[in-house]
Amino acid sequence: MTVAQAVRAPRARRSHQRPLRGGHRPAASRSRAPASWEVRSFVVASLAIVVAFVLVLLYLAQATAVSAEGYEAQRLAAQRDELRRQNTLLEIESARLEAPARIEADAAKLGLVRAATIYVVTPEAIAARP
Amino acid sequence: MSATVSSARLRMLFALFAVATLILSARLVYWQTFGRGELLGRATDQVRSDLVLTAQRGIIRDRGGAILATTVELRSLYAIPAQMTDREKNDLRGSVATAIAPILGEKAEVLRAAFSSGAEWLFVRRRLPEATADRIAALNLPGLGFELEPKRLYPNGAIAAQVMGFVNDDGVGQYGVEGRYDAILRGVDGRLVVEQDPDKRELALGLRTAIAAQNGQDLSLTLDLATQTAAERELAAAVERERATSGSVVVMDPRDGAILALASSPTYDPAHVGSADPEALRDRTIAWTYEPGSTMKPITIAAALDKGVVTPATSYDDVGYATIGGRRLSNALGRAYGPTNVTQILERSANAGAVFVASKLGAHDLFTYLRAFGFGERCGVDLAAETTGSVRPLAEWYPVDLGTIAFGQGLSVTPLQLASAYAAIANGGTLYRPYVVATRRDADGEHRTAPVAVRRVISDATATTLRTMLTATVDEGIANGASLPRYSVAGKTGTAQIPSADGRYVDDAYISSFAGMVPASDPRMVVVVVLERPQSKLLGTIPAMNVFKGIATDALRYARVPPDRP
Repeated sequence: MTVAQAVRAPRARRSHQRPLRGGHRPAASRSRAPASWEVRSFVVASLAIVVAFVLVLLYLAQATAVSAEGYEAQRLAAQRDELRRQNTLLEIESARLEAPARIEADAAKLGLVRAATIYVVTPEAIAARP
Repeated sequence: MSATVSSARLRMLFALFAVATLILSARLVYWQTFGRGELLGRATDQVRSDLVLTAQRGIIRDRGGAILATTVELRSLYAIPAQMTDREKNDLRGSVATAIAPILGEKAEVLRAAFSSGAEWLFVRRRLPEATADRIAALNLPGLGFELEPKRLYPNGAIAAQVMGFVNDDGVGQYGVEGRYDAILRGVDGRLVVEQDPDKRELALGLRTAIAAQNGQDLSLTLDLATQTAAERELAAAVERERATSGSVVVMDPRDGAILALASSPTYDPAHVGSADPEALRDRTIAWTYEPGSTMKPITIAAALDKGVVTPATSYDDVGYATIGGRRLSNALGRAYGPTNVTQILERSANAGAVFVASKLGAHDLFTYLRAFGFGERCGVDLAAETTGSVRPLAEWYPVDLGTIAFGQGLSVTPLQLASAYAAIANGGTLYRPYVVATRRDADGEHRTAPVAVRRVISDATATTLRTMLTATVDEGIANGASLPRYSVAGKTGTAQIPSADGRYVDDAYISSFAGMVPASDPRMVVVVVLERPQSKLLGTIPAMNVFKGIATDALRYARVPPDRP
């Protein structure tokens, strides 16, 4: 049985079971007769399959996108961690360079000597000036 | 006939298949029921990864924010010898060893032997310096890889080594602040369970269970890096020049007990703690005791002044010695000073004078004041391994002990105890608990350590009087070597004999010390310097005073303390 036969055959059977009442009906109204349950089932099943297919496609697309974004997030997190590590290393290097002991040693190499006296000007002394 | 045979064969074949099917079915049932867990475990192990999220150890800074200790992840070099091949599968272990040996400062033969030892995976060198790791990474050699491992770094090298302590290979703090605050600094490790792809990347849609790590708290110390550096520089120079066995320095803010510097010699480099002399690990400012000698005279006189049994003008006739408990206790070099008042006892450091004052005070009151000043018990500083020192119970005192303890023999103290006692004199009579950690910072914010006033020891008037007397000791007396231009200094020298194992004192060896405060008019810091067995012997207080001057000069400049004298 072809699909056309399967669709047509029930209509023929229904015309026998339920004869027309009230005489003549316009042709347009005949052509809009309700579809049989097989047709409706077929359409619903087809739609369900299509919807399911689309949903699966959407899910796969989303899953792929999430996975890709997840990999990207991991790459960025690793990059962030590495930058933080480099930052810590720079902070350590900065602390090393700012260490008073290192500065004193370098100053001594340059032949610098400590100031014998540091003059402190107090606010009172400034205020007392004419 | 042939049909019969064929039928039999078919039956046999059928039976064979039936049996095989039964066996396979039974096997299938087994793996689906009893063996399910094992299979599931194997499958899970291939994708699931259970990782420890290591908590970051807290940073330690000085009072100005300079980093004293921090943790950074450094690259450790590992090798997988089986992967040391080229595209044609030629063995490259020898050439890899030859390539990295000069960078690591290692012999190529040693590395080649390690690669050929049969190990599937091995560390070549752990926690490499960045430059070294970069050079090896640039070679892009097969079979080598890097793994990050945390390492505790101390950017100032050996500065404040004993105060800081160190962290061992297991990540546990030892000694000093690292040991005392280990639980706070260490934090709590987290856990991450994830599913991974074959490249060990986390699957975004897979299982993910995470317990975040709680990083350790950051600590800010009361230490001042500049003052600490000055203290260590001056102490190291004096110890070397005097060939002293050891030395220690305490610098304390008398206003609240905050420790500005603790220096101890011998010392060590935390980067090479494995090769350090065990004695160098000891913080001698808190974990070593000595008989303080004449630096105790101000304590004896403070007690007598506070008790009202003497005044600065009270005098006696100094004949060069005092007799107590049937024993004669002499002045240094047996000098007789004649009429001497209490201020002059300090200026001349007269032992006989200290005995005179102690006799007026009495053993009970001297003992009471010694304990009130904190001798014979821990200061309670927040550092590991503090010791108590020793003040024998009053019931165990012989009559002569009143005299000897009055000038600092027959009891033992730590340099920190002496500094705390002098700080009480400096701040008007209140004994503060010394402390090193000023603040700790966690997720809730900053928590500041509140200074702890332990007790009032002497009255404000007594403290002021004593500061004046100690200022005279520096300006006109035996401690004149500690005077500073444009700043008033109050202090006292000490030369103490060293007890030997047989209960006597060691011949011709001394512990020289100086304890002082500056500016004397409104003390901002108390400094105690101790040198063990300086080669200057009885003149060892001179290098001790020089150490004081060097430290005080730098510290006053850094602290922007204005001069109090023209």
